[in-house]
Amino acid sequence: MRISFKLNGTDTNIDVRPDRRVVDLLREDMGLTGTKESCGAGDCGACTILVNGESRLSCLMLAVQLDGCEITTVEGLDGGRSLHAVQESFIEHGAVQCGFCIPGMVMASVDLLNRNPEPTREEIRQGLAGNLCRCTGYQKIVDAVEKAIPYCKAGEES
Amino acid sequence: MSKVTSNVLPRSSGISRAGERHGTPQIGVTLPRADALDKVTGRELYAADFYSSDMVWAGVKRAGLPHGRLVGIDAARAAEMPGVLRVLTHKDVLGTNRQGVVRKDQPVLVDDKVRHCGDPVALVLAESREVLRRAIRLIRVNCEPLPGVFDPQAALAEGAPLVHEDSPEGNILLKGDLSIGSPSDAELECDLIVEGCFETPRQEHAYLETESGWACTEADGKIVITCSTQTPFRDRAEVCEALGLDSSRVRVVAPYVGGAFGGKDGVTVQSLLALAALNSGGRPVKMWWDREESFLAGTKRHAAKMRYRLGAKNDGTLHFLDVEFYLDTGPYDHLGGVVLALALEHAGGPYRIPHAALRGWCVYTNNPIGGAFRGFGVTQVTAAVEQMMDILAARLGMDPVELRLKNALKIGDRNCVGKTLVSSTGLTDCLETLSKHKLWKDREAWKAGAGSSKRRGVGIAALMHASGYGPVVPDYANAKLELTREGRIVVYCGVVDMGQGNASTNLQIVGALLNQNADAIDLIQPDTDRTLPSGSASASRCTYTFGNALIGAAEILKDRILQRAADLLMIRDTNDMVLVPGAVKHLPSGREVPLSRLAAFLNDDERVAVHHFRAPVARDGLGVEENLSLHGLPHTLFSYGAHAAALEVDEITGIVDVKRYVAISDCGKVINPQVYEQQIQGGIAQGLGFALSESFDVLNGQVLTPDFTTYLVPTAPDVPEMETLAVEIHEPTGPFGLKGVGEIATNGPLPAVANAVRDACGIRCSEFPLTPERVKAALESKERDGGRE
Amino acid sequence: MRSVHLPRNFEELWTVLGNEPDAALYAGGTDFLVKMRSGLEAPECLICLERVEELIGVRDEGEEVFIAAATTHSRLLETTLIQREFPVLAQALAVLGSPPIRHMGTIGGNIVTASPAGDTLPPLYALKAEVEIRSADGERRAPIGDFIQGPGMAALEKGEVVTGVRLGKNARWNVQHYEKVGRRKAQACSVASMAALMEVSDSGVIQAVRLAWGSVGPTVVTSAEVEEALCGEKLCPDTLRRAAALVEKTVSPISDVRAGAEYRKTLAGALLLRLNDYANVPVTEA
Repeated sequence: MRISFKLNGTDTNIDVRPDRRVVDLLREDMGLTGTKESCGAGDCGACTILVNGESRLSCLMLAVQLDGCEITTVEGLDGGRSLHAVQESFIEHGAVQCGFCIPGMVMASVDLLNRNPEPTREEIRQGLAGNLCRCTGYQKIVDAVEKAIPYCKAGEES
Repeated sequence: MSKVTSNVLPRSSGISRAGERHGTPQIGVTLPRADALDKVTGRELYAADFYSSDMVWAGVKRAGLPHGRLVGIDAARAAEMPGVLRVLTHKDVLGTNRQGVVRKDQPVLVDDKVRHCGDPVALVLAESREVLRRAIRLIRVNCEPLPGVFDPQAALAEGAPLVHEDSPEGNILLKGDLSIGSPSDAELECDLIVEGCFETPRQEHAYLETESGWACTEADGKIVITCSTQTPFRDRAEVCEALGLDSSRVRVVAPYVGGAFGGKDGVTVQSLLALAALNSGGRPVKMWWDREESFLAGTKRHAAKMRYRLGAKNDGTLHFLDVEFYLDTGPYDHLGGVVLALALEHAGGPYRIPHAALRGWCVYTNNPIGGAFRGFGVTQVTAAVEQMMDILAARLGMDPVELRLKNALKIGDRNCVGKTLVSSTGLTDCLETLSKHKLWKDREAWKAGAGSSKRRGVGIAALMHASGYGPVVPDYANAKLELTREGRIVVYCGVVDMGQGNASTNLQIVGALLNQNADAIDLIQPDTDRTLPSGSASASRCTYTFGNALIGAAEILKDRILQRAADLLMIRDTNDMVLVPGAVKHLPSGREVPLSRLAAFLNDDERVAVHHFRAPVARDGLGVEENLSLHGLPHTLFSYGAHAAALEVDEITGIVDVKRYVAISDCGKVINPQVYEQQIQGGIAQGLGFALSESFDVLNGQVLTPDFTTYLVPTAPDVPEMETLAVEIHEPTGPFGLKGVGEIATNGPLPAVANAVRDACGIRCSEFPLTPERVKAALESKERDGGRE
Repeated sequence: MRSVHLPRNFEELWTVLGNEPDAALYAGGTDFLVKMRSGLEAPECLICLERVEELIGVRDEGEEVFIAAATTHSRLLETTLIQREFPVLAQALAVLGSPPIRHMGTIGGNIVTASPAGDTLPPLYALKAEVEIRSADGERRAPIGDFIQGPGMAALEKGEVVTGVRLGKNARWNVQHYEKVGRRKAQACSVASMAALMEVSDSGVIQAVRLAWGSVGPTVVTSAEVEEALCGEKLCPDTLRRAAALVEKTVSPISDVRAGAEYRKTLAGALLLRLNDYANVPVTEA
């Protein structure tokens, strides 16, 4: 069936099996391999994308559910210009090790800061509770989100 | 302020692309990792990220029963399914059909017997992942079921079913029986002997990137396997032997790995992928295990049962140790024997114990495969010995830090297997730093602040962890550097970066030695055709061994560049020549020669520098039987640590809530503080999972925790704030004084937590992890017994 | 090929349901799509309810609050009306799954899934929620305890859809409490949970109480006997301990990979003891 949605700012109109998982559609059909899959069952958050600005698990969404939505994947986070403040902060503060959880972690962080622009460290941990990381012990990820707070707020105000 | 659109930074923000504002890298100074940019943007291509329009999906039918003789494979319905290209079995494997790091006992595809539920029986090639899944479900494995063995001690009993009928010692993969000093006399000389039994669970690596790979066939017939691995060179040898291919037919490429922790030390998808590629009609093949398959077929940290007796004099001097332990290695060697040897070597912890009797068995069963996992046997025995130290301290009425300090190994001492320590030995420094830390010093005040129904406690653990391969298997690396015609530097990394950041550290080392900016240096990831054999990414050895090789290569290249620049400028010697970013400068005259110009004056071979480094090994003649030496006993280089956990136990539910954690480590000189902290913090988190929630449960060979819903790794709220301090003692043999940091932190949390729980509420469990259920049961049993332990 | 429908309103929904009477419905998919992946569910036709406009939102209806079935957990958690009137539900929503699961999962989905571990269910039982069910032919209502009949079993006929739940406001509950015991701090399936509503007098006497436990029986467990034992008693450890002993006799948990039955039984009682934290605490109006 044909579905229309906005993908990383671009109007997209494709023919797809309605029950194709969104994670497969993105990775295999559209070549957007920044979105990862690690459990396929909603337990790990590696496949997190933004749907209408809200974090969703692309392994638990079927293609038809994209119809009419605005989708952002990690590839589209920067609007094609510069890095998002969260991405910059992840690099600078050592949040990245093996990196396989990182695209999902970045998307979850953006969602968190959109909802709660000034989270405490505990709120950051709760906000990232759906995203498993096996390398970092989360501390530097929490550091990175915390350090990105002023830059995200600055971005919103302007 | 400047106009910026949503959340995109102005360049003046102070944050910038890694490397841009950091100048030339320096040793001992944080440099953001070179891999971070492509990973945060999703641009990095992992082995799991390869697709093409003409690709074939490959997948495996797994046995589903723990032990049985293969009678037949009914794949007719699967083979006839539209979209299925081929169904392959052991009959299609033309080599030995056996894989293994030490003992080659694991089939690519089962040919005689199924030995655990995850054994691969048939390989399916299909047009799509969906068809592949359905086809695999249609295959029927006909087996004559055999009685299985599911417990190491039961497997040793007379008449127990044999996992391998041809194994020389039945179900014993490897046994160690060491007697150091005079244990039987020493036992009688002790003023006090304490005893304890401990069981630690199987632990799953749970890397986020499950096993995956991509195989292409080139025009000349060469199969190129790009896969998620820690060991590309060894993989090539294993694939070729198992499939009967000449080594020139196979190339293995190892991109950045999405986590490994030992679970990708050895073959996972490699042989299957190569077999698929041989039968795909030249089309590229993708294999990507899903989470359940990864859990079922992947290796685990060995489940362990340990019995300890520790004897001391009244003044706290350790005198005697008697240890007996059993490791469940599942049906295949993998690295089980090596794990056993390392566990034996660390069974006595980081202490002087003059008399020890150490007995360990690594035993075949029909459970999932035991294998390498960060900590590698040391995690298990440290869990035991560090609880024994607290039990002893309590009986002696001694402070736990004081008891450890009194017996702490120093350089020149012998460890529990009699090995004399000749490398830097910083345990005392770690313990002294810990004893002055406020978490330890002020613990009584903190404990007094517990809320209603809560009990607080603080516990410690002292650690020691060997690095490298041991006395026999050569631990070497070959570093290669190139000055390109464009004047850039290329580092040919021989050791995989599975997330630990060694690729970035290589860049930092080269940048610092050649005084070049990080963005002028390129990394070539391990590749059997392009980089040189440098061993596995394992054993806390990566930066120690490869870093030493790299320093050698950098010095060769530097000398060559300076000499040629001096020649060009007609200067007599290189004393006044220095490398500056992009050029060589003659200091007295200020004249510079760009590296690109210099490169033109070097021929292709001259632009390349190679250096071989072989790690030092223990020379001690300990009288250890040869087979144990072959499996790595003893080592000569050790890192040390002292950990403390502060936690709260909820008396109503039994939930243990770790509030703070401090880790002090002697891993030699730190090259990049950020990467050092990453390693320690990540190790602690895995150790906390092992202590509190992770247990890969199996009943009669069947997995009870098949996925992330049932196997619980820590989430962000589960891990406390951690403080990671370094006692930077220079290790003379290490690159810039460094020692291994990859594994040691994993070993601390279980004993530190167990000791803290004891401190909080007077209970000690013998089985781990400390689930709320176990803790609650222990609390209730203590209450019933009127507070007696 | 499996068809998937995305109706935008009741009218479209009834039409699709009329054409596809055997279609499976999902609202969020955090449970259903997991079962589909593992092969436990293999419907030929699916209807996704997330866009049906009548199924989204929270309505203040005076004495009652109506929560439409496909309202996500996140949306509920952020709704002031829910936070104010039903803190016990808000507390449960806050520990349900993880942020993305809460963005996707819905209260209707949690009800129809009918898992004994469903986090919203103990609060809904304690609040005596009424489930609203519709089909093309009409509407009916059922108390949640009647609607959920067993693990995974909801009294939903072919052609019927849960459209929402009704919760009665009740200012008398000056203690609203939810606690879940999991094996880790987040994203944990409950080993046992308890929702409690209490009216505690200024002198510390329990005037009224409603309790509901999750994960300690085939469905959520309530007990008039335990509630009666607490009513009129002083809120103190002794009272709670006596009631806890009764609770242990009332529940009928199973052993599974998460915990043993004995522990669950102990927990069900022990969780009552936490209510002592509300003794001597000045209670504010709910």
